This record gives sequence, C-alpha cells and structure tokens, in this order.
Amino acid sequence: MDRLLPFAFAEPGFMKRAILAMLFIAPTAAAVGVPLVHFRMAFFSDAIGHSAFTGVALGVLLGIHPVVTMVAFGLFVAWAITLVKGRTDLSADTVIGVFFSTVIALGIAVISAQKGLTRNLQSFLYGDLLAVSEAEVVWLACLFLGVGVYLYLAFNRLMLLGVHEGFARSRGVPVRALEISFALVVALVVTAAIRAVGILLVTALLVIPAAAARNAARGTAQAFWGAVAVSLVSGLAGIAASYSLDTATGATVVLFASAFFAATAVARRVLRLA
Amino acid sequence: MTQKPHLHTLEIRNLSVRAGGVDILAGIDADIRCGEVTALVGPNGAGKTTLLLAILGLVDYTGEIRFCRAEEHGRGAPRIGYVPQHLDFDRNAPMTVVDFFALSSQRYPVVLGASRSSRAAARESLARAGASHLAGRPLGRLSGGELQRVLLALALRDNPDILLLDEPVSGVDAAGEELFCDFLDQMHSASRFSLLLVSHDLSVVSRHADRVICLNRRIVCQGATTETLTPENLAAMYGSGAHLFSHGHADGHGHLHDDAPAPPGGKGA
Repeated sequence: MDRLLPFAFAEPGFMKRAILAMLFIAPTAAAVGVPLVHFRMAFFSDAIGHSAFTGVALGVLLGIHPVVTMVAFGLFVAWAITLVKGRTDLSADTVIGVFFSTVIALGIAVISAQKGLTRNLQSFLYGDLLAVSEAEVVWLACLFLGVGVYLYLAFNRLMLLGVHEGFARSRGVPVRALEISFALVVALVVTAAIRAVGILLVTALLVIPAAAARNAARGTAQAFWGAVAVSLVSGLAGIAASYSLDTATGATVVLFASAFFAATAVARRVLRLA
Repeated sequence: MTQKPHLHTLEIRNLSVRAGGVDILAGIDADIRCGEVTALVGPNGAGKTTLLLAILGLVDYTGEIRFCRAEEHGRGAPRIGYVPQHLDFDRNAPMTVVDFFALSSQRYPVVLGASRSSRAAARESLARAGASHLAGRPLGRLSGGELQRVLLALALRDNPDILLLDEPVSGVDAAGEELFCDFLDQMHSASRFSLLLVSHDLSVVSRHADRVICLNRRIVCQGATTETLTPENLAAMYGSGAHLFSHGHADGHGHLHDDAPAPPGGKGA
C-alpha cells in the first residue's frame, strides 16, 4: 500500500482509505454517467440522490443503520419512478419532479419531528470521504466490479435504446428489463457516491465527467474512457488539493471535474470555429 | 451477398389495436406479398405507424399476424428490418456511424473497440448504400437523408425477409429523396425482400409500389397501385375528396400533402 501510494499526504490511514474509495467510486460513477447522459437522466439521478436524505432520516427514525435505509430507499424510489414513468403519458420530468418533491417533503417532515437529527445529516449532505470505513471501501470495490460486469453485458443495448426505443426493440433489446435494471444500478452508484461528495453534489460525479468527455470525444469509446479518466484525475487531485487547502473534499473534487468541463467546452468551440 | 429470393408473405387477419378506449386500428385484413413493394397510405392518425409497430410486436393487438415462409427457405422467425420515421436522439451523442453499427452487432461493449467483423460488416453495408464516406462521422451530425441511408444500410445488413420503412423520405430534400428511392429500388431488385412502405408522398408511392393498402383506422381499399389510387378511393380515405382534388388543383396544393398527387393513371407522363 505504501509503495502503491507513496505520497506524504496519504500517510494517515484515513487518507489511504479515502484515496482507495475514490479510486473505486469515481470511475464507477463516471462509467454509469455515460449512458445516463445519453438517456438525459441527470434529473433522475438527482432525485435519487435527494431521496437519500429521506432514507437517512428514516433509518435514524427506525433505529436502522442510515446507510442501509439510504440504499434501500434509493432503490425503491428508482424503481417507483421507472414504473410510473412507463405507465403514464406524463413526461419524465414531471414524474421525477413529483417524486423528488414528495420524497424531500417526507424527509423534512421526519427530520423536523426528530430533534438532534440534523447533525447526523451533515456528513450525508456534504459528503465525508475522509471518514469512510474499511467496510465501506469493500462495498465500493464490490460495486466497482458489479457495475463493470453489468456494463459489459448491457452497455451496447443501453446506448442503442438511447437512440430510438422502437428501433432498439426491433433489434431484440429487452426495453423494460433494461430500464429497470439501469435505474437500480444508478440508484446503487448514487447512494454509494454520496459518501464521497454528498447529496448536494452527487449528480456531479456521474454527469460532469461524462459531459466533459463528450465535448472532446469523437466516438463512444473515447467518450467512455475520457469520462473515466476525468473522474479519476479530478478525484485524486481533489483529495490532494483539499488536504492542502483544507476545503471540503467532495466539493473540491467536483470543482476539478467542472474545470475539465469548462476547458473541453471552450476547446470544442475554438476548434469548431477554427 | 445471397441472391436467393425471399418467399415470404405476411398475412394480417382481423387485426385490431385499442389504446385508451379508442380503436386505433379495427378489423384489418391485409396481405404483404413476397418480394413486392407494398405502400401503406392514409391520412394522419390513420394508424399507419401503429400497424408497423404491431407487425414488429411492439404494441398489443388482437387478431392474427402470420409470417409465412416457404418450406425450402428454412424455419424460424423471419428477419424484420425496420427504419423508423425519425430518430429523436441527442444530436451531440458521442457515437460514430461505425459505433452505431457495432452497438447492434457485437456482444461486448463498443468501448472496448468495434470488432473486426462488425467493422467489416458496417463498411460493406455502407458501401452498398453508397455511404462509405459516412463511416467515421458522428451519427448526430448527419443530414436527414444521410441518416436514412445509414439506417437503411443497417436494416439491410441482416438480409431481412421483410423491410418496414416508416416515411422514409420525410425531412429529406428532393435530391436526397431521388437518391434514396433509387438505392432502395436497386437493393430491392438485388435481394427481393418484401417491402412495406409508409408514405405520405403519393408520387413516391405510385412510382415505386406494386400494391397499395389505403388505411384509415380500417382498410379503405387495397390492390394493385394503378387500380387502387383512384380519386374515389382517395376521397373515401381522406374524408372529403372535394377538398383534396378541387382545392389541390386550384392552388397547386393538396390539403393533405405538400406535393399533391397528379390524378393516378396520369403517372409516368
């Protein structure tokens, strides 16, 4: 481990765990972000992120570990949104908006009734990468592998579905199964990423690397690996910078990713004008 | 490329589609003859696209759709090619034409690279469609006509028994339309798939279709093109024939089409 990460700032154990956690969650979030952006589902992942707020509140209320209820509630909301979206004529925005507000209202109601809960929520709102436990690192590693297998099996069909549903179906893509499974995978990744960057910024970890890579990529492979690279570099640079600047880690990571986005967006414009 | 004729027929019997308590299609009986070009015409909301979706198995229906396949040409599900009306996808999607081909032909993710066979197949189909130059272009930057060609090339790659085209020349300029129709004719005479073509453009229909099915939630009429596209039948299909023809002649516009058909029978003049 010391030979793997020979940085002075990585000396304390919590730093090593933080860096390991970032090495697992950043590429996972970015990889899921590529089809997510292709599906225009950024708002969906935001809704799942905010449902975590309620999940945590419910966990404290019920005396269950808040991380467990957060993940379970996130999965439930993802499933419910996907189900309702498929059965109404309402636009996806509207369905997500209704769920989003309802879930947040429920969370606030629970929290306001339970004094002393607010302090517990802080680390979820802003993320607390430096406090991840070894068990959490193991969970992130499992998620990294699981999502890798999922994308290996489903990536092509997800991208095809994003182009045209009827066309994808005519080529044998199982649309409903794919939509539900992807929503659940997004929910798992979002709730895991909350530990790193917090509820308020979790969507950024999925969306910004993918968006930055799209600015520069010509094909799907470049977009995918570009997103993974942007997220890894931002993640590690963010940890290092937040250590020396004493800023919140999650926010610093997201700012690095945003800088990549700005740079690629400008470069794209300049190159197109040239 | 195999030159064997596809001896398929599609038989549709008493097909109905209901959605939200409304009959979108009712009691449809129709045949698609093998190797022929059948055009599906009708006003907006006539259920043309719905009929295609039913054939593809993408909407629930009652009744029967039978795919008949001559014994000597093997068993199993017939291959159906489909070119949708328009693709409402993200125009900035990081996806080249070759990526798009690879997405539907290889199992492992395209991010690990397009396989040699899927790239070769893509190049061959694009070359046949006269679209080799589009291979490396982003899918979202193609013009309407180019996109149609790519979709058609992809549909034809798998040697379909039946090809369903939904408004293939909408959003394509006149030159593009001409090119597309020529290519389609060429491909069709080479591999003789059955073609079911939805079109608003009666000039395209009368030039290319062997048979016509006129649809307005039910079958208005069907038969050989020249016998079917009569003023009486068009009037029955589009509601008021007076509108279509008298206005069409008076101001040079049909009410239903930008380019109103010359009265059928006068074609080829």
